[in-house]
Amino acid sequence: MPQVQKKILLVDDDRFVLLLFNRALIEEGFQCLTAHSVEQALEILNEELPDIILSDYQMPDMDGFEFRSRILEDKRLKNIPFVFLTAYTDRNMIQRGLDMQAVDYIDKETPVPLVVSKLNNILQAIRKEHEKSIHEIRVAAEALNLSSVPSESPKIAGFGINFLYKSFEDYPGGDFIDFIRFDDQYTFVVLGDVMGKKWGAWFFSFNFLSYIRSAIRLCVFDGDLSTASILQKINRVIFMDPVLGDVLSTLSLLMIEHKSGKVHYSGAGDLPLIVYTASDKSCRRMESSGLLLGVMVDGLYNEDVITLSKGDQLVLISDGMIDFEHGGEKKSDYDLFFNLVKPKLGKSNSFELVKNVTFSAEKSKELIDDCSLIFIQKN
Amino acid sequence: MIETAKHNNYTVATLLIKEANLDVAEQFKTDMLQLIDKGNSHIVVSFENVVYVDSSFLGALVSVLKYAMSKSGDIAVAQLNKDISNLFSLIRMNKVFKVYNTLPDVFA
Repeated sequence: MPQVQKKILLVDDDRFVLLLFNRALIEEGFQCLTAHSVEQALEILNEELPDIILSDYQMPDMDGFEFRSRILEDKRLKNIPFVFLTAYTDRNMIQRGLDMQAVDYIDKETPVPLVVSKLNNILQAIRKEHEKSIHEIRVAAEALNLSSVPSESPKIAGFGINFLYKSFEDYPGGDFIDFIRFDDQYTFVVLGDVMGKKWGAWFFSFNFLSYIRSAIRLCVFDGDLSTASILQKINRVIFMDPVLGDVLSTLSLLMIEHKSGKVHYSGAGDLPLIVYTASDKSCRRMESSGLLLGVMVDGLYNEDVITLSKGDQLVLISDGMIDFEHGGEKKSDYDLFFNLVKPKLGKSNSFELVKNVTFSAEKSKELIDDCSLIFIQKN
Repeated sequence: MIETAKHNNYTVATLLIKEANLDVAEQFKTDMLQLIDKGNSHIVVSFENVVYVDSSFLGALVSVLKYAMSKSGDIAVAQLNKDISNLFSLIRMNKVFKVYNTLPDVFA
């Protein structure tokens, strides 16, 4: 049985064959989509992306070869493994199918359990190849010492700072975190999310992080200690960058004043900060007004200053935290996340409690993007 | 993946997908840039069939907007479901795009 339920699209004009394979594959743990014509299959593919396609050669109207051609023309579909299912054992037919980058063909006479094993083997071979490639890139990234998340949280007297990061299906993603400290006076907290998933986003996260790190340092050296002004400078540079101008990123930027306990906050298209105030045990969301980095020349950034007292807590998150999937339906729901975390704040072990409701093994299974959370507490 | 129609002074591009995500983002961008290059400077993207939008797709949408603006055009969005509309407000995409509940009579 496949480890994760694999989605297969079966295409055959013979309803009996469809029924037979449908039943056998469901029993083996596959999720089956069935189509009795190429037209119907293409309609399904408009909405669904299967892990593998099993299609007959000979069908009325459009045949299997034409179906394969249509798929190869579509960037979104062309990499889905395609297997021909046929009653023909004509060598020319088989050759023609394999020439069209079909990964294999299966004779309809093959007993169903054998077909299932063959499909499982194909999927497993693809997965292994995929894992190997990921491993190689990861090794290269480690060798280059590239990391978009720090190895540990900073230690600031009077504050407790922790963070959580979980990649999506073990791919690095677009989230980046950094803590930049200036002597015993200030620490900047950076949480961003390059829009996109997996490698593409991960690759760009370094460029963003480099700009952000240097902008913060240059501004502090120049005496500019306004998070809104720093954010605007970062935004302008990114807007003008010919490559990054097309890539977008959110950013939450905090500057903690160690001695006064003041926290300056500005955000670029980020999700609201959760602020817990110990004195009245209240929990609220604090929204920033700025646009995503690189969208417009003027990012309209504002700056809020929160003075933290003993027991006050802050939670910053990336957008992966508010994506939920239930019964195959995905949705982004900030309120759901807020209500999940709210009862856990104001406790001595809040960070652990928040971790349990957001990053537990059970919750991680529901992830559909990479996720980050930063927790700050005034001691 | 998009169906286009002329509507008064603008073009409607209706997304024919349920999930607007990474898998379709690149295709969407290509289709939209072609549409703009053909002289459709003002386009309203209809999300009436869409139930979920991910950040990759939003990235593509903004990149299309930037391209349209460089050609003196504009992109708006319409018919967002409640979740998507909330997401737009949350990350201030509603300040970047004009958001219409229904297709507007005139988009300028």
